[in-house]
Amino acid sequence: MARYIFVRLLDSIPTIFLVFTLVFIALRILPGDPAIAVLGDYARPESIARFREQFGLNDPLWLQFLKFLKDMVTLNFGNSFTKGVPVMDLIKYNLPYTIELTIVAMLIGIAGGIPLGVWAAINRNKAPDVGFRTFSLIGYAIPDFYLGALLLIIFALNLGLFPITGAGSGFAERMHHIVLPATTLALLKIAFIGRLARTSLLEVLGKDFVRTARAKGAREPRVIYRHGLRNALMPLSTGLGLSVLSTLSGSVAVELVFNRPGLGRLLIDAISERDYPVIQAGIIIFASIVVVVNLLMEVVYALIDPRIRVK
Amino acid sequence: MTNLLEINDLCVEFGPAGHAIKVLHNVNLSIAHGEAVGLVGESGSGKSITSLSVLRLLSEPPGRITSGKIVFEGRNLLDLPRSDMPAIRGREIAMIFQEPMSSLNPVMTIGAQLSEAIMLHSEQNESQRKKRILELLKLVGIPEPEARLKQYPHEFSGGMRQRVMIAMSLACDPKLLIADEPTTALDVTIQAQVLDLLRQLRERVGMAVLLISHDLGVVADVCDRVVVMYAGHVVEDADIASLFDNPKHPYTRGLLSAVPSLSDTRERLYQIPGSVPAPGSVKRGCPFYDRCDLRKDICNNEMPPLHAHSSTHKAACWVTSSDAEAVSQSGVTT
Amino acid sequence: MSAVDQVRVPQEPKFAGTIVKSVFFTPAGAIAVTVILLFAVIAIFAPWIAPHDPRAQSFLSVNAQPSSTYWLGTDQFGRDVLSRLIYGSRNSLIIGFLSPVFAALIGGTLGVLAGYFGGIIDRVVTRIIDMLMAFPELLLAILIAAALGGGFWNVVIVLTVAFTPGFARVARATTLSVKEEPYVEAAIAAGVRTPMIIVRHIVPNISAPIVVLLTLWTASAIRLEATLSFLGIGTQPPAASWGNIIREGLSNMFATSWPILTAGLAITIVVMAISIIGDTMRDALDPEIN
Repeated sequence: MARYIFVRLLDSIPTIFLVFTLVFIALRILPGDPAIAVLGDYARPESIARFREQFGLNDPLWLQFLKFLKDMVTLNFGNSFTKGVPVMDLIKYNLPYTIELTIVAMLIGIAGGIPLGVWAAINRNKAPDVGFRTFSLIGYAIPDFYLGALLLIIFALNLGLFPITGAGSGFAERMHHIVLPATTLALLKIAFIGRLARTSLLEVLGKDFVRTARAKGAREPRVIYRHGLRNALMPLSTGLGLSVLSTLSGSVAVELVFNRPGLGRLLIDAISERDYPVIQAGIIIFASIVVVVNLLMEVVYALIDPRIRVK
Repeated sequence: MTNLLEINDLCVEFGPAGHAIKVLHNVNLSIAHGEAVGLVGESGSGKSITSLSVLRLLSEPPGRITSGKIVFEGRNLLDLPRSDMPAIRGREIAMIFQEPMSSLNPVMTIGAQLSEAIMLHSEQNESQRKKRILELLKLVGIPEPEARLKQYPHEFSGGMRQRVMIAMSLACDPKLLIADEPTTALDVTIQAQVLDLLRQLRERVGMAVLLISHDLGVVADVCDRVVVMYAGHVVEDADIASLFDNPKHPYTRGLLSAVPSLSDTRERLYQIPGSVPAPGSVKRGCPFYDRCDLRKDICNNEMPPLHAHSSTHKAACWVTSSDAEAVSQSGVTT
Repeated sequence: MSAVDQVRVPQEPKFAGTIVKSVFFTPAGAIAVTVILLFAVIAIFAPWIAPHDPRAQSFLSVNAQPSSTYWLGTDQFGRDVLSRLIYGSRNSLIIGFLSPVFAALIGGTLGVLAGYFGGIIDRVVTRIIDMLMAFPELLLAILIAAALGGGFWNVVIVLTVAFTPGFARVARATTLSVKEEPYVEAAIAAGVRTPMIIVRHIVPNISAPIVVLLTLWTASAIRLEATLSFLGIGTQPPAASWGNIIREGLSNMFATSWPILTAGLAITIVVMAISIIGDTMRDALDPEIN
């Protein structure tokens, strides 16, 4: 078991390395001189030269790459080109908002999605199931930012029930501000997780051991929960991991819609401002979260499935 | 003495109400207390459907029991509301299935699954259950049962798993055990062991058994009587000795000829020509007509009724029945 | 013609053509196809259908409410919302259809080669695919778009790269299973040359799942393009795309919400329709319990 985790951990290292390499290539080799992007087209040659010297842009690429690796690993992200403050500070400020949003949205999504999915599975092809599948179809199609904008227009703009922008300060206010953005993401989660729960449960209920359980004299609720759902947890846990990742990427657009601070917002703004240190840091942090979540997903799966746990 | 189980004129359909296909045609089968009856037929003969119907384990869409009675100890199970069935399953009638690999819950320990079997039907506390479980595991011949309790199904071999299934089915001392192809997925040597076990259990516990198989050899090992099914019909019903010595239905004869033996001098194995008709494709007459070498015109027009050749031997065939009558009328004994 | 070429091979029953036809047999599928055709017509004939020039600004009628001149009103630059919507369909739909096709061609080829030849090619390709697929498409897209910037072809490149690993994986998996089929082994044993085997036997058999995936991912591509445009790294204004219409509409939300409402609805409807088609095809391919 511990060995399994260790192996998986080792596996993630090449992925992180690949990400580092891709980020480096993307921002250095592809067109666009950062000096000009930051200082402007009319900057004086001396300023440009000084800029390039300051940020090591004149060194040979392999040297730049090594320095880059060292910096990334020691979390030395440098200072923002446009804001001048340490990138780390920007991240420390923004990351919690994104995490907060992701967690709340996931909680609502799971609390809503799993029961709905189970309900739909139990009533297969009857009214609840058809209703849920329709809801799910729309949920998969509607863009997250559109749903957010709709909720914003209806509940904040027209009905005035919720604030229009920002994240608020103090616990109560933050909770108030988080309702609409989290609901946006959560509705989509419910569609996804619910659909997954439904499919997994239906698949498990078709298996032989469920028939055995019935033959033993177990009543339907016991069959569904103790035998059905318990076995459906495994594919579900993988799906939940994917859901966390999609919530994370969804948060980028939602933060923009609701004008919330967050890592996604930081990244997008940095992209339009060509603020390389921030773009670099943002992508690497996102990528690291992705890798960690994937790892956790596998570990959880291994914990739940005795076939892997007990060798 | 009344029978333990009597299936009377059972008809089952599959499919949507308008275009349903009949898969069981007036199936009749009875099992006396303590008797071991074999149910034999190829895939598609309807034997599994018959057995699933007893405990009403058929998936109700798309399957449907349209008529008939299943009388267990005097009660028609089909009259009971569905919610009453769990009390009977496992307790009065138990069932084991073909695939031991997938018939056990992979995320529950063996101990927990066995315990569940007991707990569903009795008020015993944990230590009482544990005692009973260990008893059962010893009964079915599983070595070191204590250690096995905390293990998961994937840690057992196929033969062991089937033994566990048997143990589980015996947990509440059922009066009838339905075994649907219990040895088909197992190696021949393990197969022999499991059949041995079934025989011993019968002798020790006096339980009735309905053993379903496509293999006449398996059935001969354990059963007192055999019922042969073809395309959803019962075609022969006889005690073991009569069936093997003197089969009265062409299909049974074909099955028996197909079993190779060491003294066989034929160059090619015998195979009944043709194949089983698809459900619903035979509109009238005997379903075996196309493959039968004794066929007559009447066979194509009307389904033969079960004719009693003796008190323990019935067969549904126009030809052999009329032969038998002709013989008995002429006074010659067989 | 040599004897080898005359070898008759049994075709797999689940052929791409059959799958596509099955869509028309369900009512939902038929409606979905009609909807898509409608949008396609609108996109193709945009210059003839749009009442106004989508880029024509008019400071006199800024943020106008729907009227007979401007059916859906105007935005903050006085541009006709309906016309922008119609022209926007071109960008959204073309990028959405084109990118998965490219991805299927590139990814499919990689996958087939990896699956058929195995060995080191396979290991390397699989590794890269696994690593790329661990990432949500959006993050991958953002990274590439961050480097390239926006604009039509850049977005096409971004989306193509985002979807290629997925196609490669499916192509590889199907190739692996088809490779084991007796008729392929027979063809190899009979001396049929490799390119011939791939074209004659492998490709037809992977066409069905690829077509299904293509459809489902066109829906994703349209959504992704919209999201990128919304974030500002997709289709750049003044070119219209449903995504950037919403972006511009957001900052103008207090004045008029028509741009947001209609553009978003368009995206949702199109994605839904394509998803229905894709789902129907997938069920025909592999009838599951659904």
